Amino acid sequence: MELYLPVAEMSVNWLLLIVLGTGVGFLSGMFGVGGGFLMTPLLVFTGIPSTVAVATTLSHVTASSMSGALAQWRKRAIDFTMAGVMLSGGVVGTLFGVWLFSAMRRQGQMDLIVSLTYVIMLGSIGIIMLRESLASLKAYRSGISPGRRLVNRGWIQALPFKMRFRQSRLYISVIPPIAIGFVVGALSAIMGIGGGFIIVPAMIYILRMPTNVVMGTSLVQIIAVTAITTILQATSNYAVDIVLAGLLVSGGVVGAQLGVRAGAKLRGEQLRLLLACLVLAVGAGLFYQLVARPSDVYSLSEGVP
Amino acid sequence: MKRVLLAALLLITGPASAEDLVSGISQDTIQITSNYTGTDIVVFGAIERAQGATGRGIVVIVRGPDEPMTVRRRDRVAGIWVNRDAARFEGLPAYYYLASTEPVSRIAPAETLRRYGIGLQSLTPTAIGSHHDPEPFRQAAIRYHQRSGLYAENPGSIDFLSETLFRTRVPVPAGVTRGQYNVEVYLFRGGEVVSAQSTPLFVDATGLERRLFNMAHNAPFLYGLACVFMAMLLGWISSVLFRRPA
Repeated sequence: MELYLPVAEMSVNWLLLIVLGTGVGFLSGMFGVGGGFLMTPLLVFTGIPSTVAVATTLSHVTASSMSGALAQWRKRAIDFTMAGVMLSGGVVGTLFGVWLFSAMRRQGQMDLIVSLTYVIMLGSIGIIMLRESLASLKAYRSGISPGRRLVNRGWIQALPFKMRFRQSRLYISVIPPIAIGFVVGALSAIMGIGGGFIIVPAMIYILRMPTNVVMGTSLVQIIAVTAITTILQATSNYAVDIVLAGLLVSGGVVGAQLGVRAGAKLRGEQLRLLLACLVLAVGAGLFYQLVARPSDVYSLSEGVP
Repeated sequence: MKRVLLAALLLITGPASAEDLVSGISQDTIQITSNYTGTDIVVFGAIERAQGATGRGIVVIVRGPDEPMTVRRRDRVAGIWVNRDAARFEGLPAYYYLASTEPVSRIAPAETLRRYGIGLQSLTPTAIGSHHDPEPFRQAAIRYHQRSGLYAENPGSIDFLSETLFRTRVPVPAGVTRGQYNVEVYLFRGGEVVSAQSTPLFVDATGLERRLFNMAHNAPFLYGLACVFMAMLLGWISSVLFRRPA
């Protein structure tokens, strides 16, 4: 049951890691998120060094997203124009994020900043999604058709460089998608995530894209961002473990397929409510780690920081 | 420093001295393969011209390669635990196992133990980058390694097969670093080292593990590309396999 990881330089229970990959993959297929925000903390919990966990999770996210994206593609639920526009911001954001990553590491406070970013991002997004999905569920129950809700796109409509996104039935400026792509690319490098839990709400609440296109389009964006970040992590930190990646990916792709199927049975609001609860739970767990007295106030890292 | 002392001692304790030590190990290389989960090596030895068991102590130490490490201490700032002080250590081994006939404090005085680096408390690294008392940081580093099974002291774990023949089993856990290890055997009499022997032990990865590790460091771009390619390929394969017939 034990397998040696050549880059992490440790033995792990391979069955546990495949199960972990499957579980996280299931959630990623269901919600259209990469699952990095779950996988990274879980891997660290199993004793894998955090640099390796952050860098290797990206491969798992690439694979789960690939598998999920292909399923969405067959349903014609991907807006490639939108993905392409967002990615142009994403590439620049990733490069900026990698630069920021090494700058923060020199300051010696990277763990804290990563944890705080996680707590703030997960907490605020979780609460927004929770409120919104509960409101739409309530509206649905009381018989009021949510329809195309009153959308206040004021400032977004006022921006220049408008472009038609046929698949999303939108005619908006390219500036918001590029900006979102940039932010997500930067966060991907810093937090070791694909950024689905940021892209999905941003697409729904800022760009007002239809929910059915959001899943596939965010997955395409995530594939590209994680692929770029994996190569950057491999060349700058030597922290990608291909054996670990293989284990997580094998479980992840199966889980993602099952997740897409489970997700199709649920309605949009229910999905968002579940995702909101999950995001809040992880955020609360990380917050607890920040404020609870650690079992040993001393921590050790090998090598030169 | 310790190795120089040991080498000097090996020269001094020639055949002229009364008691002498001959030791060996069951294997001089440990190969890390894909199913490596840790192993045991056996260190054995014989005492020549033995003068009885009373007042005699034997210490076996397996010492891993030195590894720089940083220990950080968290303090509470505005309700959040934040890394504040740090100490960087050079010269702490990545692995340290000690087996002895009885607790080392009873075999020799503390001064002698420190000189030979015998016992976890004798591990004295040089601390850099700390403006504070490095001692609690050093204790934390030792504690950390004890928890992960990389540092251990095991008094009373040397078996005597006869009056002069002894052996001990040394666990080498899965988390060991690659590199050159040293197996040191000390013979004490009356609190002084009368004979010592040092044998190198190599821990190295083989086969696929070694190739992957080398590739990750020598061709990182290709390695990263391979990871991405593998991830995408597996994602695609699963998508095809799971395609439900319409």
